[in-house]
Amino acid sequence: MKQMRQETIRRIISLVLLVVLIAIFTFTTDTFLSWDNIATMLRESAFVGIIAIGITGCIITGGNNLSGGYALGMICMVFAHLYHYTSLSLIAIILICLLAGLVSGAFNGFVVSILQINDFVATLSTGMIFQGITYILAIRNQYGSITSEMIKNPTILSLGGKFSNGIFYVTIVWLVMTLIMQLVLKKTKIGTYIYAMGSNRKSAEYSGISFIKIKMVVFIIAGFCSFVGAMFMLGRLGTCDVDTGAALSLQAISATVIGGAVFSGGRGDMIGTFIGVLIMQVLRNGVLKYGLTTAQQSIISGIIIVLMLVFDAYYNEYMQKRTTRAAAIAREKEGK
Amino acid sequence: MSENKELLFEMKNIEKIFSHVHALDHVNFDVRKGEVHALLGENGAGKSTLIKILTGVYTKDGGQIYMDGKEIEINSREDAANAGIAVIFQELSLIPTLSVYQNILLGKEISKFGFISDSAEKKQIQDLIDHYGFPVKATDIVETLSVAQKQMVEILKALATDAKLIIMDEPTASLSSRESELLFKIINQLRDKGVSIIYISHRLEEVFNLSDRITILRDGKNAGVIEKEDIVPSEVVKMMIGKEVSESTASRTLKTSDAETVLEVKHLTHLGYYDDVSFEVKKGEVLVLTGLVGSGRTEVVRTIYGADPYDSGQILFEGKPIKPTISKSVTNGFGLIPEDRRTQGFSPLLSVTKNVALTSYDKIAKSGFVKASDEDKLGEKAVELTDLRPANPKVKVGDLSGGNQQKAVLGKWLTRDLKVILIDEPTVGIDIGAKDEIYNIIEGLASQGVAVLMVSSDIAEVLRVAHRILVMREGRVIKEFNDGVATQEDILLASSGYVENQEEA
Repeated sequence: MKQMRQETIRRIISLVLLVVLIAIFTFTTDTFLSWDNIATMLRESAFVGIIAIGITGCIITGGNNLSGGYALGMICMVFAHLYHYTSLSLIAIILICLLAGLVSGAFNGFVVSILQINDFVATLSTGMIFQGITYILAIRNQYGSITSEMIKNPTILSLGGKFSNGIFYVTIVWLVMTLIMQLVLKKTKIGTYIYAMGSNRKSAEYSGISFIKIKMVVFIIAGFCSFVGAMFMLGRLGTCDVDTGAALSLQAISATVIGGAVFSGGRGDMIGTFIGVLIMQVLRNGVLKYGLTTAQQSIISGIIIVLMLVFDAYYNEYMQKRTTRAAAIAREKEGK
Repeated sequence: MSENKELLFEMKNIEKIFSHVHALDHVNFDVRKGEVHALLGENGAGKSTLIKILTGVYTKDGGQIYMDGKEIEINSREDAANAGIAVIFQELSLIPTLSVYQNILLGKEISKFGFISDSAEKKQIQDLIDHYGFPVKATDIVETLSVAQKQMVEILKALATDAKLIIMDEPTASLSSRESELLFKIINQLRDKGVSIIYISHRLEEVFNLSDRITILRDGKNAGVIEKEDIVPSEVVKMMIGKEVSESTASRTLKTSDAETVLEVKHLTHLGYYDDVSFEVKKGEVLVLTGLVGSGRTEVVRTIYGADPYDSGQILFEGKPIKPTISKSVTNGFGLIPEDRRTQGFSPLLSVTKNVALTSYDKIAKSGFVKASDEDKLGEKAVELTDLRPANPKVKVGDLSGGNQQKAVLGKWLTRDLKVILIDEPTVGIDIGAKDEIYNIIEGLASQGVAVLMVSSDIAEVLRVAHRILVMREGRVIKEFNDGVATQEDILLASSGYVENQEEA
């Protein structure tokens, strides 16, 4: 009679939820399970999903990252700015964008680990800084107001393309990155340290694991994810404006939490986050087909997240009580 | 047989001084190879200071430490680990979401190019587990294990680093008796395999059964070293307390038999915390619940206040049964001085006045508005009643000394009309002068007719303020002392379960 772990129960709940949602929408709408719709959903998921890869790492260390979407927007704008105002080669621009992504992550890591600022507040602030930089870099017309410019480079535009079967490139990139991250989390030293740090920081540090190093690693991974997301976002939109990516952070955090990661750290993985991203997307797409408004979708997603968090809280309390009681009953029996 | 074993570890003339106080005064302590050596002493005798020196948490101010005959310096946890010294922490230091083998090898993974070779790790740890025959599997996730199993993982972690000297600090505090038996078996196995163990426990019975030798500390000095063959329980307790004739409660006996009963609990039970607890507190009486930490005392008090639930039994207030909730308790005239004043007793950023007024807004607020002068009156009254220093009710409670913070907490209730006050460990971390003032306040409350129910582990304190004493052990009341028959020895032996088990045997 071994107790089921919180992870296992959460995995079952999220899988069941996903299947139920898909079933409901399949049977109640005509177009939900069409190949086109699936391909579109997987493309939309991919952007949230790529940002969520970085966020999952941060949340497992017991942290958070509110800046992922803003970093993506900033990197898009770095590209647009250099493309518009300079004559640098495409390779050079992409390398600068990659650098921007890694530096944005390292900056988050610096604020969180060396300055010891709480992750939530730290990345809220760095997110604002990234957004500010986006505005500074924005392309302006002769009167000084912000305009958006079409990016006509065929290489970049091709990133928005798809295979002959209708699956978009970005979807495949998302899946591959998810698998790699899962491998890193579960099979490497650094992955074990990420869990250890989030689950019991003191004990991890006493085992010789550096808090600064682990935080740096997860935030730089997140910065890299923002870079990849930004390149495909440009390919898809063919342009960018100052709000590009801004909504992605919260969607990605929601997906991560629905997938089983907890803010106190130590729990969660990429399979869970992957399921979480799909649940969010299926929900959004499905209710759209019912003609529900954005407001209504938003409320439904919010309720689901609250329910998941309530489950976490009650589950932990319940398990603790059960353990104490079991011990008491065992003691009673011994007494007799 | 143990006499001819050679020494593994030796501390000579260890000194430690905290702000002019000799916490350790030329203490000698040694451990032989393959020996279980118990360290005994009352709270404040210097046990934990000594342990902190030998694990590198504190640096000694004088004396020498030898390992295998060579002098060593221990200035950090790493130094201690390198010397082969490991601690099994009271608060377990494992990573709950990782498996047993991941925990044991944390920071020392077997890996190629950063990739962990799971199979090699699992095999190495399973071999280690099998060698000692512990009932855990290498692949078990730590959070699914029982407390006892987690402790075994801690021990394995120490063994995996080739520790020669393992320190166990109150290892049975949260184990059931069957789990404790298993731990004792493991300790004996480790001893047979040549590992030395320093064993610290308040439970004298297990110390006497398990130890090859006992070193006793008192007031930071050596009070004696006893070989297993020479252990006489009452002598050991005398050495711990250090007085031939100890104080009794005689002077504190009060004729309370005709006073009316204010609070009564009947067969109160909360499974897993306490079991079948019954007692009554009369008007003007100080009843103290004592016993070891974890014996269920605090939980009983919290239940009576309405802060914790209970499964069965009855609580009567002025003869009428009540189902306590915190807000009802406050209206009924109950007050609580909680165990951890820093987290539960006061708001550090608010002034004494505001803290005191918090419990009285129902009295002074008129349709939600409060006059500052009413608040100030309460603050001044609290300062006066408790002799709070500095005598300024505008000071933030967080800026006061420990003793004055506790007075501020007392002030929250003294300014109300109290019928019952529940006090949990009122003088932990408070200097001696302030302790006495707090005892006076408690006595003052009792003489005004307030029923006082207090929890305390400090035996001198118990004898100082109690009219009656109940000793709790493992959730049950096992002994009652009335009318001045209690001595420090009586209480210590009863709380550690030694007397009780002797009688059974």
